[in-house]
Amino acid sequence: MTRLVAILCTAVLASACGPPVTRGAGTSFRPDYDPLEPVNRKIFWFNDQVDAYVLEPAARGWNRITPDRVQRSIGNFFVNLRFPIVTVNDLLQAKFREGASDVGRFAVNTTFGIFGFFDPATSWGFEEHVEDFGQTLGWWGVPPGPYLVLPLIGPSNPRDTAGLVADSAAGVTPFFVDRFILLGARVAETINIRSLMLEEIEAAESGSFDHYSFVRNAYLQRRNALVNDSTEAPASNGNDLYYPDLDQE
Amino acid sequence: MTRTMQAMAGLAITALCLWSAPAVAPAAEGPRAVVEATTDAVLGVLRDGGLTADDKRHRIEDIVYTRVDFDTLSRLVLARNWNTLTEAQRADFVHEFKRHLSLTYGKSVDNYRNERVAILSEREEARGDWTVKTKIVRGGPDDIAVDYRLRQTDGTWRIIDFIIEGVSLVSNYRSQFQEIMAHGGAERLLELLRDKNAKGEPLKS
Repeated sequence: MTRLVAILCTAVLASACGPPVTRGAGTSFRPDYDPLEPVNRKIFWFNDQVDAYVLEPAARGWNRITPDRVQRSIGNFFVNLRFPIVTVNDLLQAKFREGASDVGRFAVNTTFGIFGFFDPATSWGFEEHVEDFGQTLGWWGVPPGPYLVLPLIGPSNPRDTAGLVADSAAGVTPFFVDRFILLGARVAETINIRSLMLEEIEAAESGSFDHYSFVRNAYLQRRNALVNDSTEAPASNGNDLYYPDLDQE
Repeated sequence: MTRTMQAMAGLAITALCLWSAPAVAPAAEGPRAVVEATTDAVLGVLRDGGLTADDKRHRIEDIVYTRVDFDTLSRLVLARNWNTLTEAQRADFVHEFKRHLSLTYGKSVDNYRNERVAILSEREEARGDWTVKTKIVRGGPDDIAVDYRLRQTDGTWRIIDFIIEGVSLVSNYRSQFQEIMAHGGAERLLELLRDKNAKGEPLKS
């Protein structure tokens, strides 16, 4: 409960930063803004090593012994546990309909979906929503700030990093669960996700020329789309993106 | 790292969508009809059990080559840098870039698992382009939103960008190529493209 209060306080603070009208931080969107690039590249390289030598091998091992169906179920289980984060952030963005739907989704998947291992809710009309506190801050007009690569965590920015901290406070962490078990769960979750994405990540790595800028661009575009709840290329970016000759004049 | 992975997966999945486009188009086809015909034709090839993976790749290549405006796409990808290229370099770039996309995404022909494509809506953009919104249906939360941007040249609507879950292919390649051209110029970029295509596989920069 104290956590929830803390989150709400943060939200109030955040709302003081800007009116909700400037959704998605009205400033023009730049998928390359990276003043900290030299440092970021080093951390990116470090993360890449961790992935190549620890995470990917672990995921490959896991993938070998675990059928896809089971991996998906485990993935569902962890997604279901994100329910408080998603719902709180629905509400903080005044998305009451989505919030209600996500409560229903959690109820259905926890019961009929057997502790969240299955996802009957989607086919019953409770669609999954992707919300987190970083998006909430963006929705209230907080600009993302410069691109950051965090050790072990990966692409981020000051706004999303603050969001990450708030989200971890809202996660399901009952007091009686030992912190080492929680850590173990995080590790299992990460290996499982990595395992579900072996092919995609390999394709992304082999398809890119400069992997660092590939990831940066994909992260910034994707986060921008999530904040604006849109799957479209950012409008403010449209002129430059599709008419590169126009702004030369 | 979860978020990185999500973003990367989104882009990588372009595979199925890039391989989306058919042969001869009557001049009257509107943007939506173009996207529909394209995805239908590609899905038709993917579903054809009588074809080998190689056959499929070639047929899809034919479809995509007529439906995607690679000249415009290339110019958008290089943006301002396009003007610094000589005529020969430009032709070279279009050729190699096309080849690169084909090699990269052609691999995923084998990954087809009965996905469907649903066309959701279309919209006219500020300067006459159209966006057609679609969804690759894989079941519930695994659906992938793909928007196609189309531009009309010489009476024909053709695809100039693919936007997967909000990530534009043009923008993504532009970021990468800008980085390369800033350090090594056009020749370096062409060299990387040629090398990578020759190997038909990854090349770390």
